Amino acid sequence: MFPTLKTGAVMQYPAKKTLLFNTDAIRFLDGTEQRFRDNASVLHQWIIQLDLLDEAELVTLDEFFLSSQGRFGSFSFTDPWDGTVYPNCSLAGDTFSFQLRGEMRGKTTLTVCENRT
Amino acid sequence: MIYFPQLSSGATGQFPIVRQRMARTVINQSAQDYQIKLADAAAAITEWHLSFEEMSDQELAALEALFQAVEGRLTPFTFLDPADNLLAWSEQQNQPVWQADSLLILTGGVADPMGGAAAYQAANATGATLTLQQSIAAPASLDYCLSLYARSDQATRLWLVRGAETYAQAIGPQWTRLISAGQLTDTADSISFGIALDPGTTVDVFGFQVEAQVAASLYKETSETGGVYPNARFQSDAFTITTVGPDRNSCELDIVNVEYL
Repeated sequence: MFPTLKTGAVMQYPAKKTLLFNTDAIRFLDGTEQRFRDNASVLHQWIIQLDLLDEAELVTLDEFFLSSQGRFGSFSFTDPWDGTVYPNCSLAGDTFSFQLRGEMRGKTTLTVCENRT
Repeated sequence: MIYFPQLSSGATGQFPIVRQRMARTVINQSAQDYQIKLADAAAAITEWHLSFEEMSDQELAALEALFQAVEGRLTPFTFLDPADNLLAWSEQQNQPVWQADSLLILTGGVADPMGGAAAYQAANATGATLTLQQSIAAPASLDYCLSLYARSDQATRLWLVRGAETYAQAIGPQWTRLISAGQLTDTADSISFGIALDPGTTVDVFGFQVEAQVAASLYKETSETGGVYPNARFQSDAFTITTVGPDRNSCELDIVNVEYL
């Protein structure tokens, strides 16, 4: 499970979500097109921007990154928009960084993407 | 042992502190977007960007001496992460990294002050003082702060062990955060932290934390590794210092810990 903040929330505003289709389009000499799906269904991606975190919250995310081994691990993620649980998600990157500007002033960004199952 | 020095305040870093972890994942992606992943744990990299302002000449000299001793990027040194708990397995006292006297009875799954069940009960049914400690590979001469939560059904005392020094603290039925901080005159290359129980005492303990500073910060859970990096290096062969007046120096440093080096 993706960790939650002390408030119980997963994300903070501004929250970003992306829906990804994969369509192939073949354009013929006469200008007509034929389009078809490359993938069976839509994939979701969430960009989680977090600010004003305390050190414990940052370390919880850091431990989650380490246990996931970056993009390698998979986990379930609950979409904060509608509560849908996506059982097979991963971190999008092999990098996790945070900045501590003072006590309880930590800042970081994580991207979670849904895996094709 | 070559190690990153502390400032005169006892801190290892100043805000802002930036830490970045990098993993390596080999991914074989099919045309249908399916992925086969392979983790390369040995390629993990941790980086810190440290900014120091208003340093005294003495503090600057210590940093400069370290930079010269390790010859820039060439040789490693021990770095104590200023944003982490130096102990490993902070909530699993049954891990081998914790050295418990053989007759000390440890029971996990006890209710903790954070609302979970990650505390341990330590019981000493013998007639001698028993200890539970973890040793870290860091210089004993630095400032350290040991903190932990403890409680006991009966009013009793618990000894906090910080290197060669022990301090008794009174505890009761309520969870209390106990703190032992200071600097030792010891020059050893390792130091142990933990607790010692008087004969016939039973205590619940949670949230062991050691930081290379003079006061305790919020508790940070750790697992396999704590914040001790014995193989850290400078990221650059250049060390630039800015001096704006007498005893007023600043600099920025990038430190990297690469597991496979």
